[in-house]
Amino acid sequence: MQSVESKILYNDRLAEGYFRLGLSWKTPEVKAGHFVMLRLSDGMDPLLRRPFGVFRVIGAKGKSTRGTGIELLYRVVGRGTTILSAKRPGESLGILGPLGNGFPAPQKGRKVVMVTGGMGIVPLYLLAQRLPEGTLLFGARSKKETFLLDEFRELGIKIKTATEDGSAGVKGFVTALLEKELSTDTVVYACGPVGMLKAVSRLCLDAGVQCFVSLERSMACGIGVCLGCAVRTINHEARENRNYKMVCSDGPVFDGKDVDWELL
Amino acid sequence: MGTPLKKKLPKKPLEVAIAGLKFKNPVMTASGTFGYGAEFAPYTGLEKLGAIVVKGLSLYPRQGNPGPRIVETPCGMLNAIGLQNVGVDEFIEKKLPLLKDVKTHVIANIFGETIDDYMEVARRLDRVKGVSALEINISCPNVKKGGIVFGTDPQEAFRVVSAIRKSTSLPLITKLSPNVTDIKVMVKAAEDAGTDAISLINTLTGMVIDVERRRPVLATATGGLSGPAIRPVAVRMVWQAAQAAKVPLIGMGGIMNARDALEFIIAGAAAVQVGTASFIDPDAAAKVASGIEEYVQRHGVSVRELTGSLKLA
Repeated sequence: MQSVESKILYNDRLAEGYFRLGLSWKTPEVKAGHFVMLRLSDGMDPLLRRPFGVFRVIGAKGKSTRGTGIELLYRVVGRGTTILSAKRPGESLGILGPLGNGFPAPQKGRKVVMVTGGMGIVPLYLLAQRLPEGTLLFGARSKKETFLLDEFRELGIKIKTATEDGSAGVKGFVTALLEKELSTDTVVYACGPVGMLKAVSRLCLDAGVQCFVSLERSMACGIGVCLGCAVRTINHEARENRNYKMVCSDGPVFDGKDVDWELL
Repeated sequence: MGTPLKKKLPKKPLEVAIAGLKFKNPVMTASGTFGYGAEFAPYTGLEKLGAIVVKGLSLYPRQGNPGPRIVETPCGMLNAIGLQNVGVDEFIEKKLPLLKDVKTHVIANIFGETIDDYMEVARRLDRVKGVSALEINISCPNVKKGGIVFGTDPQEAFRVVSAIRKSTSLPLITKLSPNVTDIKVMVKAAEDAGTDAISLINTLTGMVIDVERRRPVLATATGGLSGPAIRPVAVRMVWQAAQAAKVPLIGMGGIMNARDALEFIIAGAAAVQVGTASFIDPDAAAKVASGIEEYVQRHGVSVRELTGSLKLA
C-alpha cells in the first residue's frame, strides 16, 4: 500500500465516453481485483478520491504482478470521470493503493467461469491473464455495450455473450448462459451491475457452486476507516448472524453466499 | 531604523498544554476519521501527531447504519455511519496495544445511549495504560438514542458530563455540536460539569435528495456534513466559544492544511483536529503539523502565543 504521485502516461479515448488511462507507478504487487483511489483534483471540489479497478499491470513480463505502471479503464459517468477524461499525459495524479482483498485464485482443476456486464469486465482481465483457460459470459443490453471481448479472446478465454435485444450472442440475460456452464467443479467470478450479481449469486447458491462477487459502493477513504462503504453480510456460523463489512478493506470481493442481497 | 529584531521564539514553540497534558504539537486526528490509529501507520508517521483521537467507543459493539452511509457534497461530504465500533472492551484488548510503541497521546472518544452507558465506558477506560484522556461525544447527529440529545440541551449536557466526571480520573474533553442556537450556553454547561477542555465542532446536520427517485441519498435521510464546506461556520463558533470559555478549546471543521488550522488557533483554539482531510490524504494531519511549524518559525511566534491572537479593528 502506498500513497504517491504518479505521472499520466496516456489517457486515450477508446470509444465514445470510454477511456484507457496509463499511470506510471513502480507498482507493489497487484492482485486481480485490487483497486486504487485516485485524487482527481488538487482543489476542494470534488473533494474525495475515486475508486478504480486495476485493468492490467504495464511493463510486466509474462504473468508477473509487478511492473512499471498500471492501466485503468473508465467510463465517463459523472463529475469525477469528466475531470479525469480531460487530463493529459505528463500531468500527475495522486494514487493510493493497491487496495482491497482481490479475487482468490481458483483451486487446481476448477473450471473458471467469469460473469460480467458493463465496466465490471475491467477487474476480470488480470484474473483472466493468470488463468490457463476459462470462460467469460458477458451480458449487455445491446451489442454497442459489449467491449474488450477481443482482449479476453487473445488470452485464450472462451467468450459467450447475451444481449437483451439479441443484437449479439443469445437474446436474454447472462444468467441463461450461466445455467448451462454450472457443474460441481465450477467456480464463478462475477463483477457488474448489482442486479446481475444478485441473480448470479442466487443461481450459484441453488446449484451449490462457489461464487465470488466484486462489489462497488461509494467510499471516502478506501482503507477501512471512514466506514462509508458498508454492505451487510451474513455470518452463517454465528448466532447474531448479520453484520456490516467494508467493501474497501474486507472486499471488494465477497463470497456471494455471504452477502445480504436484500439490502443492496 | 533597520530591520526590527525578530522576537526570540520560545522553546518548544509547537508544544501546547491542555487538561494537564503536554502535546508536542497542536494537531490531533478527529474521531471517526482515523480508525483506531494503526490503520494509518503505512501512510504517515503517527509520532508526528500531537494526539490520536480514536473512533467513538460504546459499551458494546455497534453495527452502525445501513447503506448508503456517505455522499459527497460541494467541498464536503455527508456521513451517517451510526457509530459503528468494536466496543470499549475489544478496543482495550486488541486495538490499543497496536499503538503502545507510538510516542503520542491516545485520546478515547466515548459514546453512550444513556448516562449509565457513558459512565461505564469511562470507568472501563479509567487507568488503562496508554489512554491519556477521554473525549465525550455528545454531538453525534446519526444515532437515534443518546448522542446529540445530550449535545443540544445544556441541562442534559451538564448531567452527562458531571456523571462521567465522577466515573474517571482521566482528563475530559467535551465535544460539542454546532447544531445549537448559542454555543456559549453549551460551553458553560460543560465547564460547570467539570470538563477540562472543549472540542468543536462536530458535523452539521445535512441532507441530499436524489431528485430522479425523490428519495434521500442516505439510508437514514440525514447525515453529518464535514469537510472544507463547514470551515467558516466552525471558525466562527470557535471564536464565539473562545469569548465564553475558561477551559482550552480544540477547534475542528474542514481543516485541510496548516493555513486552515491557523485560523482556528488565531480564533482561540489551543489545538486543532484534522478529520475529513485524512480520508483524502492519510498523511494530512502530519502535513498540517509541519506546516504550522513552518509558520511559527517564519513569524517568530509560538502556538501558545497565537491562540486567541485575533486582531479586531
